[in-house]
Amino acid sequence: MNIEDKIAELDRRNREAEAGGGARRIEKQHAKGKMTARERLDYLLDDGSFEEIDKFVVHRCYDFGMEKNRVPGDGVVTGYGTIHGRRVFVFSQDFTVLGGSLSGPFGEKVCKIMDLAIKNGAPVIGLNDSGGARIQEGVVSLGSYGEIFRRNVHASGVVPQISVIMGPCAGGAVYSPALTDFVIMVKKTSNMFITGPEVIRAVTGEQVTPEQLGGALTHNTKSGVAHFAENSDKDALDRVKELLSYLPQNYREKPPCVECTDDPMRSDKELNQMVPTNPRKPYDMKQIIERVLDGRHFFEVQRQYATNMIVGFGRLNGIVVGIVANQPKALAGCLDIDASMKCARFVRTCDAFNIPLVTFVDVPGFLPGVGQEFRGIIKHGAKIIYAYCEATVPKISIVTRKAYGGAYDVMSSKHHGGDINYAYPTAEIAVMGPEGAVNIIFRKQIAESDDPEATRAKLVEEYRNNFASPFKAAELGYIDKIIFPENTRPLLIKALMMLKDKRDAIPSRRHGNIPL
Amino acid sequence: MEVETVGEIIAPMAGKVIDVRVKVGDQVSDGDEVVVIEAMKMEIPVVAPESGTVAEIACREGDAVEADGVLLKLS
Repeated sequence: MNIEDKIAELDRRNREAEAGGGARRIEKQHAKGKMTARERLDYLLDDGSFEEIDKFVVHRCYDFGMEKNRVPGDGVVTGYGTIHGRRVFVFSQDFTVLGGSLSGPFGEKVCKIMDLAIKNGAPVIGLNDSGGARIQEGVVSLGSYGEIFRRNVHASGVVPQISVIMGPCAGGAVYSPALTDFVIMVKKTSNMFITGPEVIRAVTGEQVTPEQLGGALTHNTKSGVAHFAENSDKDALDRVKELLSYLPQNYREKPPCVECTDDPMRSDKELNQMVPTNPRKPYDMKQIIERVLDGRHFFEVQRQYATNMIVGFGRLNGIVVGIVANQPKALAGCLDIDASMKCARFVRTCDAFNIPLVTFVDVPGFLPGVGQEFRGIIKHGAKIIYAYCEATVPKISIVTRKAYGGAYDVMSSKHHGGDINYAYPTAEIAVMGPEGAVNIIFRKQIAESDDPEATRAKLVEEYRNNFASPFKAAELGYIDKIIFPENTRPLLIKALMMLKDKRDAIPSRRHGNIPL
Repeated sequence: MEVETVGEIIAPMAGKVIDVRVKVGDQVSDGDEVVVIEAMKMEIPVVAPESGTVAEIACREGDAVEADGVLLKLS
Protein backbone atom coordinates (compact mmCIF):
# COMPACT_ATOMS: atom_id res chain seq x y z
CA MET A 1 0.00 0.00 0.00
CA ASN A 2 1.46 3.37 -0.96
CA ILE A 3 0.89 6.60 0.96
CA GLU A 4 -1.99 7.68 -1.30
CA ASP A 5 -3.80 4.44 -0.61
CA LYS A 6 -3.26 4.82 3.14
CA ILE A 7 -4.71 8.34 3.03
CA ALA A 8 -7.62 7.13 0.93
CA GLU A 9 -8.27 4.37 3.45
CA LEU A 10 -8.34 6.90 6.32
CA ASP A 11 -10.73 9.07 4.31
CA ARG A 12 -12.99 6.11 3.65
CA ARG A 13 -13.02 5.13 7.31
CA ASN A 14 -13.70 8.70 8.42
CA ARG A 15 -16.66 8.93 6.07
CA GLU A 16 -17.93 5.58 7.26
CA ALA A 17 -17.85 6.74 10.88
CA GLU A 18 -19.48 10.06 10.03
CA ALA A 19 -22.32 8.30 8.25
CA GLY A 20 -23.51 6.88 11.60
CA GLY A 21 -26.41 4.49 11.12
CA GLY A 22 -26.80 5.39 7.46
CA ALA A 23 -29.03 7.58 5.31
CA ARG A 24 -32.28 5.73 6.01
CA ARG A 25 -31.98 5.97 9.78
CA ILE A 26 -30.85 9.59 9.59
CA GLU A 27 -33.95 10.33 7.54
CA LYS A 28 -36.09 8.72 10.25
CA GLN A 29 -34.32 10.79 12.89
CA HIS A 30 -35.08 13.98 10.94
CA ALA A 31 -38.69 12.91 10.39
CA LYS A 32 -39.15 12.91 14.15
CA GLY A 33 -37.97 16.52 14.26
CA LYS A 34 -34.64 15.45 15.73
CA MET A 35 -31.15 16.45 14.65
CA THR A 36 -28.45 13.80 14.38
CA ALA A 37 -25.73 13.43 16.99
CA ARG A 38 -23.22 15.25 14.78
CA GLU A 39 -25.63 18.00 13.70
CA ARG A 40 -26.28 18.71 17.36
CA LEU A 41 -22.59 19.07 18.15
CA ASP A 42 -22.15 21.28 15.08
CA TYR A 43 -24.87 23.58 16.34
CA LEU A 44 -23.70 23.55 19.95
CA LEU A 45 -20.00 24.17 19.48
CA ASP A 46 -18.12 27.12 18.00
CA ASP A 47 -17.54 26.67 14.26
CA GLY A 48 -14.67 24.32 13.54
CA SER A 49 -13.81 23.86 17.23
CA PHE A 50 -14.89 20.24 17.58
CA GLU A 51 -12.10 17.72 18.02
CA GLU A 52 -13.44 14.20 17.91
CA ILE A 53 -11.76 11.35 19.73
CA ASP A 54 -12.36 7.59 19.57
CA LYS A 55 -13.98 7.83 16.16
CA PHE A 56 -13.03 4.28 15.20
CA VAL A 57 -13.97 2.53 18.41
CA VAL A 58 -16.14 -0.52 17.77
CA HIS A 59 -17.81 -2.98 20.08
CA ARG A 60 -16.25 -6.33 20.98
CA CYS A 61 -19.41 -8.38 21.25
CA TYR A 62 -19.54 -11.75 19.47
CA ASP A 63 -22.85 -12.95 20.90
CA PHE A 64 -26.18 -12.96 19.08
CA GLY A 65 -24.53 -12.26 15.71
CA MET A 66 -23.37 -8.84 16.85
CA GLU A 67 -20.01 -9.28 15.12
CA LYS A 68 -21.84 -8.58 11.84
CA ASN A 69 -23.24 -5.34 13.16
CA ARG A 70 -20.33 -3.03 13.83
CA VAL A 71 -20.35 0.71 13.20
CA PRO A 72 -17.25 2.81 13.86
CA GLY A 73 -17.87 5.08 16.83
CA ASP A 74 -20.31 2.53 18.28
CA GLY A 75 -23.24 4.90 18.76
CA VAL A 76 -21.70 7.87 20.51
CA VAL A 77 -19.72 10.85 19.24
CA THR A 78 -17.28 12.20 21.83
CA GLY A 79 -14.66 14.90 22.03
CA TYR A 80 -14.03 18.50 22.99
CA GLY A 81 -14.56 21.94 21.56
CA THR A 82 -15.47 25.45 22.61
CA ILE A 83 -18.66 27.42 23.26
CA HIS A 84 -18.17 31.20 23.09
CA GLY A 85 -14.46 30.44 23.18
CA ARG A 86 -14.59 28.42 26.41
CA ARG A 87 -13.50 24.77 26.50
CA VAL A 88 -16.16 22.07 26.96
CA PHE A 89 -16.15 18.27 26.77
CA VAL A 90 -19.06 16.64 24.99
CA PHE A 91 -20.66 13.33 24.22
CA SER A 92 -23.54 12.97 21.83
CA GLN A 93 -25.43 9.71 21.67
CA ASP A 94 -26.30 8.56 18.15
CA PHE A 95 -29.75 7.04 18.01
CA THR A 96 -29.18 5.94 14.40
CA VAL A 97 -26.52 3.42 15.48
CA LEU A 98 -28.12 0.47 17.28
CA GLY A 99 -30.64 2.88 18.80
CA GLY A 100 -27.89 4.71 20.63
CA SER A 101 -27.71 1.73 22.97
CA LEU A 102 -24.89 1.68 25.49
CA SER A 103 -22.17 -0.94 25.08
CA GLY A 104 -18.94 -1.44 26.96
CA PRO A 105 -16.81 0.57 24.48
CA PHE A 106 -19.54 3.25 24.24
CA GLY A 107 -19.27 3.68 28.01
CA GLU A 108 -15.47 3.75 27.85
CA LYS A 109 -15.64 6.60 25.33
CA VAL A 110 -17.92 8.63 27.58
CA CYS A 111 -15.72 7.92 30.60
CA LYS A 112 -12.62 8.99 28.72
CA ILE A 113 -13.94 12.47 28.03
CA MET A 114 -15.33 12.77 31.56
CA ASP A 115 -11.88 11.96 32.95
CA LEU A 116 -10.35 14.58 30.66
CA ALA A 117 -12.96 17.13 31.76
CA ILE A 118 -12.24 16.52 35.45
CA LYS A 119 -8.45 16.68 35.01
CA ASN A 120 -8.60 19.75 32.81
CA GLY A 121 -11.35 21.57 34.67
CA ALA A 122 -13.98 22.13 31.99
CA PRO A 123 -17.73 21.43 31.83
CA VAL A 124 -19.17 18.17 30.51
CA ILE A 125 -22.21 18.35 28.27
CA GLY A 126 -24.05 15.12 27.51
CA LEU A 127 -26.57 14.93 24.67
CA ASN A 128 -28.76 11.92 25.45
CA ASP A 129 -30.70 10.01 22.82
CA SER A 130 -30.47 6.32 23.57
CA GLY A 131 -32.64 3.25 23.80
CA GLY A 132 -30.77 2.19 26.95
CA ALA A 133 -28.49 -0.71 27.70
CA ARG A 134 -27.30 -2.82 24.74
CA ILE A 135 -29.00 -6.03 25.75
CA GLN A 136 -26.66 -8.22 23.66
CA GLU A 137 -23.72 -7.07 25.78
CA GLY A 138 -25.37 -8.15 29.02
CA VAL A 139 -23.64 -7.14 32.20
CA VAL A 140 -20.86 -5.37 30.27
CA SER A 141 -23.38 -2.67 29.47
CA LEU A 142 -24.40 -2.39 33.12
CA GLY A 143 -20.77 -2.11 34.11
CA SER A 144 -20.38 0.77 31.71
CA TYR A 145 -23.34 2.62 33.20
CA GLY A 146 -21.83 2.17 36.63
CA GLU A 147 -18.48 3.57 35.48
CA ILE A 148 -20.26 6.64 34.09
CA PHE A 149 -22.29 7.16 37.29
CA ARG A 150 -19.13 7.04 39.40
CA ARG A 151 -17.52 9.70 37.24
CA ASN A 152 -20.68 11.82 37.40
CA VAL A 153 -20.40 11.72 41.17
CA HIS A 154 -16.69 12.45 41.20
CA ALA A 155 -17.16 15.34 38.77
CA SER A 156 -20.02 16.76 40.85
CA GLY A 157 -19.00 20.13 42.24
CA VAL A 158 -15.70 19.95 40.35
CA VAL A 159 -16.89 20.91 36.87
CA PRO A 160 -20.40 21.86 35.71
CA GLN A 161 -22.27 18.92 34.20
CA ILE A 162 -25.21 19.56 31.89
CA SER A 163 -27.50 16.90 30.44
CA VAL A 164 -29.73 17.45 27.45
CA ILE A 165 -32.41 14.82 26.90
CA MET A 166 -33.18 14.74 23.18
CA GLY A 167 -34.80 11.34 22.79
CA PRO A 168 -35.51 8.34 24.96
CA CYS A 169 -33.66 7.97 28.24
CA ALA A 170 -34.97 5.01 30.19
CA GLY A 171 -34.03 2.62 32.93
CA GLY A 172 -30.54 2.94 34.34
CA ALA A 173 -29.69 5.55 31.70
CA VAL A 174 -31.66 8.17 33.63
CA TYR A 175 -29.25 8.16 36.53
CA SER A 176 -26.37 9.79 34.72
CA PRO A 177 -28.45 12.90 33.90
CA ALA A 178 -29.99 12.76 37.38
CA LEU A 179 -26.52 13.11 38.91
CA THR A 180 -25.63 16.17 36.82
CA ASP A 181 -26.24 19.81 37.70
CA PHE A 182 -28.83 20.68 35.07
CA VAL A 183 -31.24 18.62 32.94
CA ILE A 184 -32.73 20.16 29.81
CA MET A 185 -35.51 18.26 28.01
CA VAL A 186 -36.96 18.70 24.53
CA LYS A 187 -40.74 18.71 24.48
CA LYS A 188 -42.52 15.82 22.73
CA THR A 189 -39.35 14.01 21.54
CA SER A 190 -37.75 13.23 24.88
CA ASN A 191 -38.74 11.20 27.89
CA MET A 192 -37.19 9.84 31.04
CA PHE A 193 -38.39 7.07 33.29
CA ILE A 194 -37.04 4.23 35.38
CA THR A 195 -39.71 1.77 34.27
CA GLY A 196 -41.69 2.39 31.12
CA PRO A 197 -45.42 2.35 30.45
CA GLU A 198 -45.48 -1.37 29.54
CA VAL A 199 -43.81 -2.52 32.74
CA ILE A 200 -46.00 -0.20 34.78
CA ARG A 201 -49.12 -1.58 33.12
CA ALA A 202 -48.00 -5.15 33.83
CA VAL A 203 -47.11 -4.51 37.46
CA THR A 204 -49.58 -1.92 38.73
CA GLY A 205 -52.22 -1.89 36.00
CA GLU A 206 -51.79 1.87 35.51
CA GLN A 207 -52.28 3.11 31.93
CA VAL A 208 -49.98 5.92 30.92
CA THR A 209 -48.29 7.17 27.77
CA PRO A 210 -44.50 7.75 27.65
CA GLU A 211 -45.14 11.48 27.34
CA GLN A 212 -47.43 11.57 30.39
CA LEU A 213 -45.08 9.39 32.38
CA GLY A 214 -41.77 11.04 31.63
CA GLY A 215 -42.11 13.81 29.05
CA ALA A 216 -40.55 17.25 29.35
CA LEU A 217 -43.61 18.76 31.02
CA THR A 218 -43.92 15.96 33.55
CA HIS A 219 -40.36 16.43 34.72
CA ASN A 220 -40.54 20.21 34.62
CA THR A 221 -43.83 20.55 36.50
CA LYS A 222 -44.41 17.44 38.64
CA SER A 223 -41.21 15.59 39.46
CA GLY A 224 -38.65 18.39 39.39
CA VAL A 225 -36.18 16.05 37.69
CA ALA A 226 -35.61 18.53 34.85
CA HIS A 227 -34.77 22.23 34.91
CA PHE A 228 -35.82 23.36 31.45
CA ALA A 229 -38.35 22.28 28.80
CA GLU A 230 -37.56 23.43 25.27
CA ASN A 231 -39.50 23.30 22.00
CA SER A 232 -36.77 21.90 19.77
CA ASP A 233 -33.26 20.49 19.67
CA LYS A 234 -31.92 23.92 18.68
CA ASP A 235 -33.74 25.69 21.53
CA ALA A 236 -32.32 23.15 23.98
CA LEU A 237 -28.77 23.67 22.69
CA ASP A 238 -29.22 27.46 22.83
CA ARG A 239 -30.26 26.99 26.45
CA VAL A 240 -27.01 25.13 27.15
CA LYS A 241 -25.00 27.99 25.68
CA GLU A 242 -26.72 30.63 27.79
CA LEU A 243 -26.61 28.50 30.93
CA LEU A 244 -22.84 28.07 30.54
CA SER A 245 -22.40 31.86 30.48
CA TYR A 246 -23.47 31.89 34.15
CA LEU A 247 -21.12 29.11 35.20
CA PRO A 248 -17.36 28.95 35.79
CA GLN A 249 -15.23 26.31 34.08
CA ASN A 250 -14.66 24.56 37.41
CA TYR A 251 -14.93 25.07 41.17
CA ARG A 252 -11.61 26.95 41.41
CA GLU A 253 -12.83 29.75 39.16
CA LYS A 254 -15.52 32.38 39.30
CA PRO A 255 -18.15 32.68 36.58
CA PRO A 256 -17.14 34.98 33.73
CA CYS A 257 -17.79 38.65 34.39
CA VAL A 258 -19.25 40.57 31.47
CA GLU A 259 -19.13 44.27 30.81
CA CYS A 260 -22.21 45.91 32.29
CA THR A 261 -24.08 48.35 30.08
CA ASP A 262 -26.79 48.96 32.69
CA ASP A 263 -26.11 51.76 35.21
CA PRO A 264 -25.05 50.13 38.50
CA MET A 265 -26.44 53.15 40.38
CA ARG A 266 -29.79 52.95 38.60
CA SER A 267 -32.58 53.55 41.12
CA ASP A 268 -36.14 52.67 40.27
CA LYS A 269 -39.06 54.55 41.78
CA GLU A 270 -41.48 51.88 40.56
CA LEU A 271 -40.02 49.51 43.12
CA ASN A 272 -41.54 51.62 45.90
CA GLN A 273 -44.99 50.57 44.72
CA MET A 274 -44.36 46.87 44.08
CA VAL A 275 -45.16 45.48 47.51
CA PRO A 276 -48.84 46.01 48.39
CA THR A 277 -49.37 47.69 51.76
CA ASN A 278 -52.15 45.20 52.49
CA PRO A 279 -50.26 42.08 53.63
CA ARG A 280 -53.13 39.93 52.35
CA LYS A 281 -52.56 40.93 48.75
CA PRO A 282 -50.24 38.81 46.63
CA TYR A 283 -47.84 40.30 44.07
CA ASP A 284 -45.34 39.00 41.55
CA MET A 285 -41.86 38.80 43.07
CA LYS A 286 -40.37 38.21 39.62
CA GLN A 287 -41.09 41.79 38.69
CA ILE A 288 -38.89 43.02 41.55
CA ILE A 289 -36.13 40.59 40.57
CA GLU A 290 -36.19 41.64 36.94
CA ARG A 291 -36.14 45.34 37.74
CA VAL A 292 -32.92 45.15 39.73
CA LEU A 293 -30.84 42.88 37.47
CA ASP A 294 -28.56 44.10 34.68
CA GLY A 295 -30.67 44.70 31.58
CA ARG A 296 -33.64 43.38 33.57
CA HIS A 297 -32.62 39.93 32.40
CA PHE A 298 -33.47 37.01 34.67
CA PHE A 299 -32.50 33.50 33.56
CA GLU A 300 -34.98 31.42 35.50
CA VAL A 301 -34.27 27.78 36.39
CA GLN A 302 -37.10 25.28 37.03
CA ARG A 303 -39.65 27.91 36.06
CA GLN A 304 -42.61 25.53 36.12
CA TYR A 305 -41.77 23.50 39.21
CA ALA A 306 -42.68 24.51 42.80
CA THR A 307 -43.63 27.98 41.59
CA ASN A 308 -43.87 29.25 45.18
CA MET A 309 -40.07 29.33 45.06
CA ILE A 310 -38.14 31.22 42.38
CA VAL A 311 -34.53 30.36 41.49
CA GLY A 312 -32.29 31.45 38.65
CA PHE A 313 -29.35 33.49 37.49
CA GLY A 314 -28.78 37.11 36.64
CA ARG A 315 -26.02 39.68 36.71
CA LEU A 316 -25.41 42.71 38.89
CA ASN A 317 -22.80 45.10 37.54
CA GLY A 318 -21.68 42.24 35.29
CA ILE A 319 -21.17 39.80 38.16
CA VAL A 320 -23.16 36.56 38.04
CA VAL A 321 -25.51 36.06 41.00
CA GLY A 322 -27.83 33.23 41.95
CA ILE A 323 -31.30 34.52 42.79
CA VAL A 324 -33.53 32.73 45.29
CA ALA A 325 -36.94 34.18 46.12
CA ASN A 326 -40.27 33.35 47.63
CA GLN A 327 -43.20 33.93 45.28
CA PRO A 328 -46.23 35.35 47.15
CA LYS A 329 -48.32 34.78 44.03
CA ALA A 330 -48.11 30.98 44.35
CA LEU A 331 -49.24 29.07 47.46
CA ALA A 332 -48.99 32.41 49.31
CA GLY A 333 -45.20 32.00 49.09
CA CYS A 334 -45.24 29.18 51.66
CA LEU A 335 -42.34 26.77 51.93
CA ASP A 336 -43.42 23.23 51.11
CA ILE A 337 -41.45 20.07 50.34
CA ASP A 338 -40.99 20.75 46.64
CA ALA A 339 -40.00 24.38 47.17
CA SER A 340 -37.53 23.35 49.87
CA MET A 341 -35.80 20.84 47.64
CA LYS A 342 -35.74 23.27 44.72
CA CYS A 343 -34.23 26.01 46.87
CA ALA A 344 -31.66 23.84 48.65
CA ARG A 345 -30.43 22.23 45.45
CA PHE A 346 -29.98 25.59 43.77
CA VAL A 347 -28.19 27.14 46.75
CA ARG A 348 -25.74 24.22 46.77
CA THR A 349 -25.22 24.52 43.00
CA CYS A 350 -24.32 28.20 43.43
CA ASP A 351 -22.05 27.56 46.41
CA ALA A 352 -20.24 24.77 44.55
CA PHE A 353 -19.43 27.13 41.68
CA ASN A 354 -18.60 30.39 43.50
CA ILE A 355 -21.82 32.15 42.60
CA PRO A 356 -22.95 34.75 45.19
CA LEU A 357 -26.51 34.34 46.45
CA VAL A 358 -29.13 37.09 46.52
CA THR A 359 -32.30 36.05 48.35
CA PHE A 360 -35.61 37.93 48.20
CA VAL A 361 -37.75 37.02 51.20
CA ASP A 362 -41.52 37.15 51.55
CA VAL A 363 -42.53 34.01 53.36
CA PRO A 364 -45.49 33.49 55.68
CA GLY A 365 -44.13 30.15 56.93
CA PHE A 366 -44.07 26.47 56.10
CA LEU A 367 -47.16 25.02 54.42
CA PRO A 368 -49.41 23.36 57.01
CA GLY A 369 -50.90 19.97 56.17
CA VAL A 370 -50.97 16.32 57.12
CA GLY A 371 -49.62 15.40 53.70
CA GLN A 372 -46.62 17.68 54.09
CA GLU A 373 -45.81 16.35 57.56
CA PHE A 374 -46.24 12.70 56.53
CA ARG A 375 -43.98 13.18 53.52
CA GLY A 376 -41.30 14.72 55.72
CA ILE A 377 -41.41 18.51 55.45
CA ILE A 378 -39.21 18.46 58.56
CA LYS A 379 -36.34 16.76 56.80
CA HIS A 380 -36.87 18.50 53.46
CA GLY A 381 -37.22 21.95 55.01
CA ALA A 382 -33.99 21.24 56.87
CA LYS A 383 -32.27 21.04 53.49
CA ILE A 384 -32.70 24.80 53.03
CA ILE A 385 -31.07 25.42 56.40
CA TYR A 386 -28.27 23.03 55.59
CA ALA A 387 -27.63 24.55 52.18
CA TYR A 388 -27.51 28.16 53.35
CA CYS A 389 -25.46 27.44 56.50
CA GLU A 390 -22.95 25.44 54.51
CA ALA A 391 -22.65 28.01 51.70
CA THR A 392 -19.58 30.22 51.99
CA VAL A 393 -20.21 32.36 48.91
CA PRO A 394 -21.40 35.95 49.53
CA LYS A 395 -24.97 35.86 50.85
CA ILE A 396 -27.19 38.92 50.61
CA SER A 397 -30.90 39.03 51.42
CA ILE A 398 -33.75 41.49 51.12
CA VAL A 399 -36.90 40.99 53.17
CA THR A 400 -39.60 42.63 51.08
CA ARG A 401 -42.53 41.75 53.32
CA LYS A 402 -43.19 38.71 55.46
CA ALA A 403 -40.51 36.78 57.30
CA TYR A 404 -42.32 34.79 59.93
CA GLY A 405 -41.32 32.02 62.27
CA GLY A 406 -38.87 29.32 61.28
CA ALA A 407 -39.20 30.44 57.68
CA TYR A 408 -37.52 33.73 58.69
CA ASP A 409 -34.49 31.81 59.89
CA VAL A 410 -34.11 29.55 56.89
CA MET A 411 -34.22 32.19 54.14
CA SER A 412 -30.59 33.37 54.29
CA SER A 413 -30.95 35.07 57.67
CA LYS A 414 -28.10 36.68 59.58
CA HIS A 415 -28.07 33.66 61.88
CA HIS A 416 -27.35 31.35 58.96
CA GLY A 417 -24.38 33.39 57.88
CA GLY A 418 -26.04 36.12 55.83
CA ASP A 419 -23.37 38.72 55.04
CA ILE A 420 -25.70 41.62 54.34
CA ASN A 421 -29.37 41.48 55.27
CA TYR A 422 -31.57 44.27 53.94
CA ALA A 423 -35.26 44.89 54.62
CA TYR A 424 -37.86 47.07 52.93
CA PRO A 425 -39.92 49.35 55.19
CA THR A 426 -42.84 47.03 54.36
CA ALA A 427 -41.07 44.07 56.03
CA GLU A 428 -42.80 42.19 58.83
CA ILE A 429 -40.22 40.19 60.73
CA ALA A 430 -41.65 38.42 63.75
CA VAL A 431 -42.07 35.07 65.42
CA MET A 432 -45.57 34.76 64.01
CA GLY A 433 -48.35 36.84 62.46
CA PRO A 434 -50.19 39.37 64.65
CA GLU A 435 -53.44 37.37 64.94
CA GLY A 436 -51.77 34.18 66.05
CA ALA A 437 -49.39 35.91 68.44
CA VAL A 438 -52.12 37.94 70.13
CA ASN A 439 -54.33 34.88 70.58
CA ILE A 440 -51.54 33.17 72.48
CA ILE A 441 -49.97 36.01 74.45
CA PHE A 442 -53.25 37.67 75.47
CA ARG A 443 -55.56 34.65 75.61
CA LYS A 444 -56.63 35.31 79.18
CA GLN A 445 -56.91 39.05 78.79
CA ILE A 446 -59.10 38.67 75.69
CA ALA A 447 -61.37 36.05 77.29
CA GLU A 448 -61.88 38.11 80.43
CA SER A 449 -62.53 41.44 78.70
CA ASP A 450 -66.05 42.84 78.30
CA ASP A 451 -65.77 42.88 74.54
CA PRO A 452 -63.33 40.13 73.49
CA GLU A 453 -63.51 40.93 69.77
CA ALA A 454 -62.76 44.63 70.25
CA THR A 455 -59.96 43.82 72.67
CA ARG A 456 -58.47 41.33 70.25
CA ALA A 457 -58.64 43.79 67.36
CA LYS A 458 -56.95 46.50 69.45
CA LEU A 459 -54.19 44.14 70.56
CA VAL A 460 -53.64 42.87 67.00
CA GLU A 461 -53.27 46.43 65.80
CA GLU A 462 -50.79 47.20 68.59
CA TYR A 463 -48.80 44.08 67.84
CA ARG A 464 -48.78 44.85 64.14
CA ASN A 465 -47.42 48.34 64.77
CA ASN A 466 -44.82 47.30 67.30
CA PHE A 467 -43.63 43.92 66.13
CA ALA A 468 -44.70 43.25 62.52
CA SER A 469 -42.05 45.59 61.17
CA PRO A 470 -38.36 45.46 60.29
CA PHE A 471 -37.38 47.70 63.21
CA LYS A 472 -37.11 45.09 65.98
CA ALA A 473 -34.80 43.02 63.79
CA ALA A 474 -32.79 46.13 62.84
CA GLU A 475 -32.43 47.11 66.51
CA LEU A 476 -30.85 43.71 67.11
CA GLY A 477 -28.55 43.92 64.10
CA TYR A 478 -30.29 40.98 62.42
CA ILE A 479 -31.13 43.39 59.62
CA ASP A 480 -28.17 45.54 58.63
CA LYS A 481 -30.15 48.25 56.93
CA ILE A 482 -33.72 49.16 56.14
CA ILE A 483 -33.66 50.39 52.58
CA PHE A 484 -35.87 52.36 50.24
CA PRO A 485 -36.99 49.86 47.62
CA GLU A 486 -36.01 52.22 44.80
CA ASN A 487 -32.36 51.78 45.82
CA THR A 488 -32.38 47.97 45.74
CA ARG A 489 -30.10 47.67 42.71
CA PRO A 490 -27.37 50.13 43.78
CA LEU A 491 -27.33 48.69 47.30
CA LEU A 492 -27.14 45.09 46.14
CA ILE A 493 -24.22 46.04 43.90
CA LYS A 494 -22.46 47.89 46.73
CA ALA A 495 -22.81 44.87 48.99
CA LEU A 496 -21.67 42.53 46.23
CA MET A 497 -18.56 44.62 45.50
CA MET A 498 -17.74 44.76 49.22
CA LEU A 499 -18.02 40.96 49.38
CA LYS A 500 -16.25 40.11 46.15
CA ASP A 501 -13.13 38.73 47.80
CA LYS A 502 -14.96 37.07 50.70
CA ARG A 503 -13.15 34.12 52.25
CA ASP A 504 -14.93 31.88 54.69
CA ALA A 505 -14.74 28.25 55.70
CA ILE A 506 -16.73 25.76 57.70
CA PRO A 507 -15.10 23.15 59.98
CA SER A 508 -13.27 20.42 58.07
CA ARG A 509 -14.75 16.94 57.95
CA ARG A 510 -15.00 13.93 55.65
CA HIS A 511 -18.25 15.33 54.36
CA GLY A 512 -21.37 16.78 55.83
CA ASN A 513 -24.52 14.73 56.24
CA ILE A 514 -27.30 16.73 54.60
CA PRO A 515 -30.74 15.34 55.52
CA LEU A 516 -31.60 13.54 52.27
CA MET B 1 -53.01 8.46 35.25
CA GLU B 2 -53.66 12.08 34.44
CA VAL B 3 -57.12 13.20 35.54
CA GLU B 4 -58.76 15.25 32.84
CA THR B 5 -59.57 18.59 34.39
CA VAL B 6 -60.63 20.51 31.31
CA GLY B 7 -63.52 22.77 32.25
CA GLU B 8 -62.92 22.46 35.98
CA ILE B 9 -61.42 25.25 37.98
CA ILE B 10 -59.66 23.93 41.05
CA ALA B 11 -58.29 25.41 44.27
CA PRO B 12 -54.52 25.96 44.08
CA MET B 13 -54.21 25.25 47.80
CA ALA B 14 -56.34 24.46 50.82
CA GLY B 15 -58.11 27.51 52.23
CA LYS B 16 -61.36 29.35 52.76
CA VAL B 17 -63.51 30.71 49.93
CA ILE B 18 -63.97 34.43 50.63
CA ASP B 19 -65.44 35.63 47.35
CA VAL B 20 -67.24 34.02 44.42
CA ARG B 21 -67.21 36.58 41.64
CA VAL B 22 -69.32 34.79 39.03
CA LYS B 23 -72.70 33.09 38.79
CA VAL B 24 -74.02 30.27 36.65
CA GLY B 25 -74.39 31.38 33.04
CA ASP B 26 -71.71 34.09 33.20
CA GLN B 27 -69.21 34.29 30.38
CA VAL B 28 -65.61 34.26 31.58
CA SER B 29 -62.42 34.89 29.68
CA ASP B 30 -59.04 33.29 30.12
CA GLY B 31 -57.39 35.03 33.10
CA ASP B 32 -60.55 36.39 34.76
CA GLU B 33 -60.58 36.16 38.54
CA VAL B 34 -63.53 33.95 39.39
CA VAL B 35 -63.03 32.98 43.03
CA VAL B 36 -60.86 34.31 45.85
CA ILE B 37 -59.49 31.93 48.45
CA GLU B 38 -57.90 32.94 51.69
CA ALA B 39 -55.02 30.78 52.81
CA MET B 40 -52.02 31.51 55.00
CA LYS B 41 -53.55 34.99 55.52
CA MET B 42 -53.26 35.71 51.83
CA GLU B 43 -56.12 36.45 49.46
CA ILE B 44 -55.39 34.24 46.50
CA PRO B 45 -57.29 34.98 43.30
CA VAL B 46 -58.22 31.91 41.27
CA VAL B 47 -58.34 32.68 37.57
CA ALA B 48 -60.10 30.96 34.70
CA PRO B 49 -57.54 28.94 32.73
CA GLU B 50 -59.64 29.22 29.58
CA SER B 51 -62.67 31.08 28.29
CA GLY B 52 -66.14 29.60 28.71
CA THR B 53 -69.50 29.77 30.36
CA VAL B 54 -69.93 29.03 34.04
CA ALA B 55 -71.90 25.77 34.13
CA GLU B 56 -71.79 24.98 37.82
CA ILE B 57 -70.52 26.58 41.01
CA ALA B 58 -69.28 24.03 43.49
CA CYS B 59 -68.35 26.31 46.38
CA ARG B 60 -69.84 29.07 48.51
CA GLU B 61 -68.34 31.94 50.45
CA GLY B 62 -67.10 30.63 53.75
CA ASP B 63 -66.50 27.07 52.49
CA ALA B 64 -63.27 25.36 53.39
CA VAL B 65 -61.74 23.84 50.27
CA GLU B 66 -59.01 21.28 49.82
CA ALA B 67 -56.07 21.73 47.49
CA ASP B 68 -57.18 20.64 43.98
CA GLY B 69 -60.84 20.73 45.11
CA VAL B 70 -63.23 21.74 42.31
CA LEU B 71 -64.51 25.31 42.73
CA LEU B 72 -66.55 25.62 39.58
CA LYS B 73 -67.07 24.10 36.18
CA LEU B 74 -67.02 25.76 32.80
CA SER B 75 -68.70 24.59 29.63
